[in-house]
Amino acid sequence: MAAYISMGEAHRRITEYLTRFSDAISSQDGKSLSRLLSVSSDSAALLSLADALNTFQDANRVIRQSERFSQYGDILLHVFRALQSYRLKNLAESYMAFEKASNAIIQEFRNWETAWALEALYVIAYEIRILAERADMELASKGKTPEKLKGAGSFLMKVFGVLAGKGPKRVGALYVTCQLFKIYFKLGTVHLCRSVIRSIETARIFDFEEFPVRDKVTYMYYTGRLEVYNENFLAADHKLSYALTYCSTEKEANIRMILKYLVPVKLSIGIFPKASLLEKFNLNEYKDVVLALKRGDLRLLRHALEEHEDRFLRSGVYLVLEKLELQVYQRLVKKIYIMQKERDPNRAHQIKLDVIVKTLRWLDIDMDVDEVECIMAILIYKNLMKGYFAHKSKVVVLSKQDPFPKLNGKPVNA
Amino acid sequence: MATERQKPSSEEVKADLFEDDDEFEEFEIDQVCEDLAEQNEGEEINQQWEDDWDDDDVNDDFSVKLRKELDSEAKST
Repeated sequence: MAAYISMGEAHRRITEYLTRFSDAISSQDGKSLSRLLSVSSDSAALLSLADALNTFQDANRVIRQSERFSQYGDILLHVFRALQSYRLKNLAESYMAFEKASNAIIQEFRNWETAWALEALYVIAYEIRILAERADMELASKGKTPEKLKGAGSFLMKVFGVLAGKGPKRVGALYVTCQLFKIYFKLGTVHLCRSVIRSIETARIFDFEEFPVRDKVTYMYYTGRLEVYNENFLAADHKLSYALTYCSTEKEANIRMILKYLVPVKLSIGIFPKASLLEKFNLNEYKDVVLALKRGDLRLLRHALEEHEDRFLRSGVYLVLEKLELQVYQRLVKKIYIMQKERDPNRAHQIKLDVIVKTLRWLDIDMDVDEVECIMAILIYKNLMKGYFAHKSKVVVLSKQDPFPKLNGKPVNA
Repeated sequence: MATERQKPSSEEVKADLFEDDDEFEEFEIDQVCEDLAEQNEGEEINQQWEDDWDDDDVNDDFSVKLRKELDSEAKST
């Protein structure tokens, strides 16, 4: 519980906040303004202000006392309500009040010619998302429909609209975009990302490279994940690699998340992570997948997919990994080929389907000759293997030149 | 409200949708991460890949067992 506060003390704290607020605007101090709006930061100053507001009850009167404060009455009144409700743990109410306050600030922001208040706008975008998430948890726990995060998405689209035009404020548009991505990914409405992406990527008036690095990294991470879902592996590789290169090394958790998606993407184009990389970022779920690819061990691949099925399905990389089977078959047939060559170089390029069937059986994989023939046909069709069938004698005749072409950073033919 | 009453059964599904295991952590607003040291680190991490590992190596454990298997097949036929 909050300690007892005298009316005089409460009044003093409220006036102090109001003074700081109007000073921040008149001196165009974005950083100070942003601190005054960080509702969820649990800063000592804001918590003690909230206690004062809950004691004083009629802050409205103090705001109206002076023209300095009353000109921002629309903002201040709602910020106060947001802080009070937040302190009393009425999170849905806090969110609604904060959205109103933010709306009023944005009206002002539109009229300010320079971008001095961008930092405050970042805090607004962040707070809108965080307060909405918490409000939804509260609503869900009371059996009500959690709908604030969806509302936060609509509101941030409006903020995006304010920033995305021409002029110096545009540099802030990518931060808001990233907050929107976080909302859409959480709600499972990633198709909504598309219109924002189009607006960011087709704008000729603003070069992507001019956005702040931290926003570019976040943007590339999320759009990279979208490319993984759409199976555009080259685009996914480009975006996730960009995020990896520029991500602050202090954010190990973020680097790990990037790699979680980049590793399967790289594997799909025939590039392997070094063991030390998987080790360093604790990506053990990929160890056996890589080993299976190197060995040509189909059983190990299937086993690894089964073991981490849950995790792979949840992150959406399962289908990417499942498609690695073809590369494992390629490797296995190549090994058989190399070993036949050791024994009898003249007949090495002829591989009996029966030998493959037996090898698979040795790996506990039950397939008949027809099924194996089908797999070999796919390998040839996808250019993972060069050769032809002698259908009657059930033999694959391999090309003498480069019978197992490498992917060299290109995806397997679709 | 009426809409709230109508779908209590979808609550569980919804709670599940409100989840992204891989939500990126926020970077500090005023962070400058463009200094040289960090760039180098980024380069280093990009060297942690191999696109040309020894593809013809058949001396690992798995290959040794595979060879044994193929040899015994060859003898029996």
